[in-house]
Amino acid sequence: MTTDELEKLLAQQPVAVLHRLARGRVQRHFRAGKRRLIELILQHSSQNRAGLESDLQALVGERQSRAQQPISPAQTTRRPAAALPKRMPSRGGEPESSEPAVSLAAWFEGIGVPPPQPFVPDPWQEEALAALSDTDVVVSVPTGSGKTYVAVEAACRAMEDNRSVIYTSPLKALSNTKYTEFSRIFGADKVGILTGDRQENGQAPLLIMTTEILRNLLYDAASGEIDVRLDTLGLVILDESQYIADPERGVVWEETIIFSPSQAKLLLLSASIGNPQDIADWLTSIRPTACRLVRHSKRTVPLRAGYLHPNGKLTPLFKTLGIPYGHAGQLHPEAKRLFFEYEEETLPSGRPRR
Amino acid sequence: MPPSIHPVDLIAALRQKHLTPVIVFLTSRRACDEAMESFDHADIVLPPVRQDAIAAALERVIAQYPSIAEHPLIPTVRRIGVAAHHAGHLPSWKIAVEELMRQGCLDAVFATTTLAAGVDFPARTVVITQSSIRKSRDFTDLTIGEVQQIAGRAGRRGKDQVGFAVVTPSPYIDLGVLTKGFTGHPEAIDSQFTISYPMVLNLLKAHPHEQIQAILAKSFAQFQLNQRAELLERKLDALHIQMEPFGPRVCTDWITQWQTFDQARRQKPSRHQIRRHESPEVSARFHFLTPGRVVGLTRGRGIVLRQYRSKGQKSPMVTVLRPNGAVTECPAPSVSEVFDRVFDCEEAPVYPWCTTETFDELSHQLAELPTRVPVLPILVSKDSEPLPDAIVQSLGDFPCPTCPSRPACQKDFETASRLRQEQQRHTKSIQALRTSLWHRFQERVEVLQKFGYLTSHAQLTSEGEWARLIRIDHSLLITELIRAEAFSGADPSVLTGIMASIAHDDDRPGAFPRISSGLSSLLGQVRKLGESLSPYEDPPLLRADVAALAERWIADPALTWIGLCRLTTMAEGDIYRLLARTLEFLSQIHTLKATHPGLADSASQAIALIRRGVLEELP
Repeated sequence: MTTDELEKLLAQQPVAVLHRLARGRVQRHFRAGKRRLIELILQHSSQNRAGLESDLQALVGERQSRAQQPISPAQTTRRPAAALPKRMPSRGGEPESSEPAVSLAAWFEGIGVPPPQPFVPDPWQEEALAALSDTDVVVSVPTGSGKTYVAVEAACRAMEDNRSVIYTSPLKALSNTKYTEFSRIFGADKVGILTGDRQENGQAPLLIMTTEILRNLLYDAASGEIDVRLDTLGLVILDESQYIADPERGVVWEETIIFSPSQAKLLLLSASIGNPQDIADWLTSIRPTACRLVRHSKRTVPLRAGYLHPNGKLTPLFKTLGIPYGHAGQLHPEAKRLFFEYEEETLPSGRPRR
Repeated sequence: MPPSIHPVDLIAALRQKHLTPVIVFLTSRRACDEAMESFDHADIVLPPVRQDAIAAALERVIAQYPSIAEHPLIPTVRRIGVAAHHAGHLPSWKIAVEELMRQGCLDAVFATTTLAAGVDFPARTVVITQSSIRKSRDFTDLTIGEVQQIAGRAGRRGKDQVGFAVVTPSPYIDLGVLTKGFTGHPEAIDSQFTISYPMVLNLLKAHPHEQIQAILAKSFAQFQLNQRAELLERKLDALHIQMEPFGPRVCTDWITQWQTFDQARRQKPSRHQIRRHESPEVSARFHFLTPGRVVGLTRGRGIVLRQYRSKGQKSPMVTVLRPNGAVTECPAPSVSEVFDRVFDCEEAPVYPWCTTETFDELSHQLAELPTRVPVLPILVSKDSEPLPDAIVQSLGDFPCPTCPSRPACQKDFETASRLRQEQQRHTKSIQALRTSLWHRFQERVEVLQKFGYLTSHAQLTSEGEWARLIRIDHSLLITELIRAEAFSGADPSVLTGIMASIAHDDDRPGAFPRISSGLSSLLGQVRKLGESLSPYEDPPLLRADVAALAERWIADPALTWIGLCRLTTMAEGDIYRLLARTLEFLSQIHTLKATHPGLADSASQAIALIRRGVLEELP
């Protein structure tokens, strides 16, 4: 195949095929428009033309076989209709889907303040609290789902049992916020704070500290210094425990968990992570009781994604109303068109405009 | 860089669509500040009722934290209802913004993504203008977890029925990264377990040495290593099954047997080699006669253009460029001297054995050569006899040539040996995975023994007893400094300066006050010690300018916070963080009061002096 023939053949393909072809060949191919993409693919494959050609043949073959599959011989009359959209100059190359994209009006629906309703804890919150009465619990839920409610309620229950509670957070700022918040809930005399440079009410039944401070307390206790706070300890709450993967400070979380007294229950609160089961399995393997994992991926307040063009035009980002989990490709055609327009205008190269 | 949409237009558009309150995530602190500046003359002012509400709320926060009363952003906040919130601000300002946001007074907050994880205030909408963040100098794409963390700020429980995450393009955006982030499953997290010196000391203080391995085995790191090891073990089991047809044959370990036989067979020279009789001097020298080398001949000097061995010649040969431009072939023994001078020579396959440019260049160089050029000393080794005769002779001892299973062995050897190699590799890596933490621990123990914090039986010495209380970064440097009595007689301000320079790990440049000579000479010592400890612990930045700033705050109790900020170009929030971190380091030193009363006293004085003004007012 000569270069011209190849170029012509590539030009006949829909952009989706070109993108598949460009995968692994052209960097950031998703940025490029069709003409530029063909250029880049050819440029890349000047060394290995045969590989490109065979890949292209395979893709074309696959497409054809897929197009022919649903058409049984009896339905030949429908064939022209089925072939029609293929011949249409498909702009943008959206993957064919029968569902129409969501409209802006529908996207906006429901905006506003919900009617006030009595607070009812979510099932996962109940589940976590119930499990905590006899074992350690790992909670992995999306940001803003109400982890704090679980922390407060668990602390409350432990304190009713005359057990002390330690709550740790990774950042001093967060510790301070929680100190104010918990003082409001439980009363100032019940809550204390210990950070690197602040110590207040250090003997209170509910202590807020940074994880480093708790680690130090545990080390001191292990080397023989008696600390009454640890004897009556009933619950350790580790907030934002996805910090265990922090390159510099993650080790502190591991030390804290390893050395936490076995009579105290652990409550690990974390944002959504990929492998909460691993954390739970790990806790099960080192703690006296089997750890319970509570995970929950649905957000309490549903999220919608939008796209705001610099000219002020707002469109939904995805075709579906909510976030299409697991389908990154389902972009709203309007958002896609506007974004490509933006890229065309701002990319510095002096390439030809369509 | 601002997003491609102007901040004023952005807020106006979102207001009009009832998408406020909103958190706008921008790439840098500067972008946030510039966005705030762009509201200076904007006319999208709030109705007076809301302005008053903001003023009242601000009043309440200011009563608690007077340091923000004069904050330059306050007029914009009150007029338009937008604020900036990033690490360059004082914590009190951030608290104020968070409080205003919680009360629903603000329409927009401009923040950096680095802070997304650390703040606790939601909004109806988040605006994302970037798909990468700056992590230690480089920009890296946001991970799925990070995108979801950012988007998670949208939608307030009880105040919103839906939350919105709005993407608006800027030069830093890659839509693919963001859509993947929205729709993907968050990444798995990995343990980042490291073994630090204080950890070793504290573990050995509380537990006998032989129990430590069991304790390390309880870490998440070991849990994950075990997972990987189990994966390999399963592979190993599969390999065992694949290896079954290659079990024992005539010899039990036929693979090794065949391998040795095969090697020996291959090493036997297939044809008689031409034996050359060169003197060892010549063969040693011949390695140096590479193209470009200046050599001395019986008459004059020359530059080697190529070397070769030819069947027609008894000796190895070199082609030499002579001063008159002639190219001559000389036997290597006729080279009388090898000089310590080599020129670049671009070789060519045909006469004159180099490119024309090189040829001209070399002729020129040769003419310009000084009369005296140092001679290259060449060591001559007498024993140049690498013939593996023993193996060749032992070939007769192998049973293989007459063995009945020889053809089978020969056929299967390739597969079998590959499988066996894989097996050995897996076994080795499984072992490494199971014991790597313990080895790392042992390495640390050895270092601590070397410095005298641990006895040879891995028990804490008297030095180790106090050193274990220093549980911060760069602990080895700090304890070594204390042992070297670097701080004896140093006053609190110098101690603070040193601690600040050890604590500060940001390399943002800035202009700072001058450093006092006492601090600067001590800092020189610290730097020297830090360098000598670098094989055992990464040295800190030890910036003199930062040290000077912290020293000034202690040395001059009349200095106000505003005055301190004027001394440097560092952002307020950074100065605050520097001093707060220094405070943490000092309070660690303060714990040494039993063994180092003087030093602890000095530290507590410094702590008392640091805590004034803004640092006292804040938690």
